[in-house]
Amino acid sequence: MIYLDNNATTRVAPEVLEAMQPYLGQYFGNPSSAHTLGREMKHAVEEAREQVASLIGAREPSEIVFTSCGSESDNWAIRGVLATRSEKKHIVTTLVEHEAVRNLCRLLESDGYEVTWLGVDHNGELDLDELRAALRPDTALVSIMLANNETGVLFPINEIGRIVRESSDAVFHVDGVQAVGKIPIDLKNTAVDLFALSGHKLHAPQGIGALYIRPGVSLSPLIIGGAQEQGRRAGTSAVPNIVALGAACRLALADDGHDRIERLRNRLEDEILRRIPNARLNGTADRSKRLPNTSNISFEYVDGQNILLHLDQAGICVSTGSACHSTTHESSPTLRAMNVPYTAAQGSIRFSLGRYNTDEEIDTTLSVLPEIVAKLAEMSPYQEELARLR
Amino acid sequence: MNREATDHFFNPRNVGEADAPNFNGRAASLSCGAHVRFSIQVDEAQHVSQARFRAAGCDVLVASASVLTKQVTGITTAEAASPGQDPNGLIEQLGVEPANAQCVKLACTALLDAIRDYSNAARDDWAGDEALICTCFFVSERTIEREIQSRGLQTVAEVTAICNAGGGCGSCHQLIEEILATNDLPG
Repeated sequence: MIYLDNNATTRVAPEVLEAMQPYLGQYFGNPSSAHTLGREMKHAVEEAREQVASLIGAREPSEIVFTSCGSESDNWAIRGVLATRSEKKHIVTTLVEHEAVRNLCRLLESDGYEVTWLGVDHNGELDLDELRAALRPDTALVSIMLANNETGVLFPINEIGRIVRESSDAVFHVDGVQAVGKIPIDLKNTAVDLFALSGHKLHAPQGIGALYIRPGVSLSPLIIGGAQEQGRRAGTSAVPNIVALGAACRLALADDGHDRIERLRNRLEDEILRRIPNARLNGTADRSKRLPNTSNISFEYVDGQNILLHLDQAGICVSTGSACHSTTHESSPTLRAMNVPYTAAQGSIRFSLGRYNTDEEIDTTLSVLPEIVAKLAEMSPYQEELARLR
Repeated sequence: MNREATDHFFNPRNVGEADAPNFNGRAASLSCGAHVRFSIQVDEAQHVSQARFRAAGCDVLVASASVLTKQVTGITTAEAASPGQDPNGLIEQLGVEPANAQCVKLACTALLDAIRDYSNAARDDWAGDEALICTCFFVSERTIEREIQSRGLQTVAEVTAICNAGGGCGSCHQLIEEILATNDLPG
């Protein structure tokens, strides 16, 4: 199997599995317990906290709180801020956020909050003047992602943070889920107040996330109960998963494979665009403004789900940008916000690489994909349009 | 989708256009962006002699269109129109989930559209003594009028029940309505 869907989830790294395994066996205690076993567990959790803090450039490990997933971190950040600032009823976010932020803000709109939805241009980039103009005295929160999960386009959170600080007293939350482990992050030198991350995007297992909370930012708890996580997030610590997240962060920080992933991604992207006439890139062509592992490519006038299924039959895992099944029958909100034409959005495929991909896998993908797309293009009812692209 | 449908998706049959003279139909979905076209050739005995399709849409749409091209080849346009009138048989045959039933229906609609294209052309080209209304079941205007007058028929459905006219592709429903209106005399 060739796994090119690392933005969906990643394989647990053997190093991570090895680190967490004792905590699924002999180290089974509760870190809140006062006995030796409990203290050992507590020690493991605190070591993991330091590892997470190092990877994202937090000043102190105490700025990191463990959660169950990225969505919990996002939900907590947003709801937690709003609960402490009940007099402020305005939120600024973007049209291309992950559902965890987008759907929550939609819900808040129906609960009486006013939301300013920042759009993006055809490259997937924000207009920062639009952000400046959106900030108001009653803006409680600005929530903007670091890296888009579909296109990999990066938002300039350093600059955004400066603008938020200069023009408002809003709290600045960043959904960093898709970026952590893929690009260097140094939160202490930014104006980011809250930062969500998720373990399974960087080779830890599913079911572990974290929220970075800048000291001084006041946040109501989402889960009420015991005094775990300095009383900020109740619930018995998921020690094996926490240890795994720590190990994954250590691995990501030490890993020198990022350049290799980027080189593989560039080759895949360049060759697809060169060999397939109806292929077009979604998201800025300036690779310094995109994640190094992601390529979102539309194959115009053919169906993305068809490509996915044919690739799957060839043992290659990718994602589509459109969701044409069961409940939703619409193309991706991100691609729509970018004004990608409908016939291109329907044929979009996200390739997201990871640390275990090899040159041979890219070769194999490049050997089967053009034929699949050509076959589907032959079946397409848009023959005249396709002829113009050849 | 069952195994038969999956096979048709991965190996679609009869992709392209039927040889000229051909008749064409299409259907598209605004909600999901799918688009499908059928192209058929019909012989003098009103049998579909060739059926081809092109589609950009989900696996269910592709599989349905491919299966339909096979099923309608060699049968009359009246028979070929039946999945367009009632797609449930095909939905069941392909083992399609209810959520994707509309994708099967879209393919059936495009096929029906192609048959209507043929029927409209055949009606226009008809050189017989009596005006031909229903090309699927070969029913003339005079026959329809006679049945309406002798039996006091009021609706297209009643006409279809008595003489089959309008029971195929449905392209003549408007014409039958007009004949009904002309013959709807008081008393």
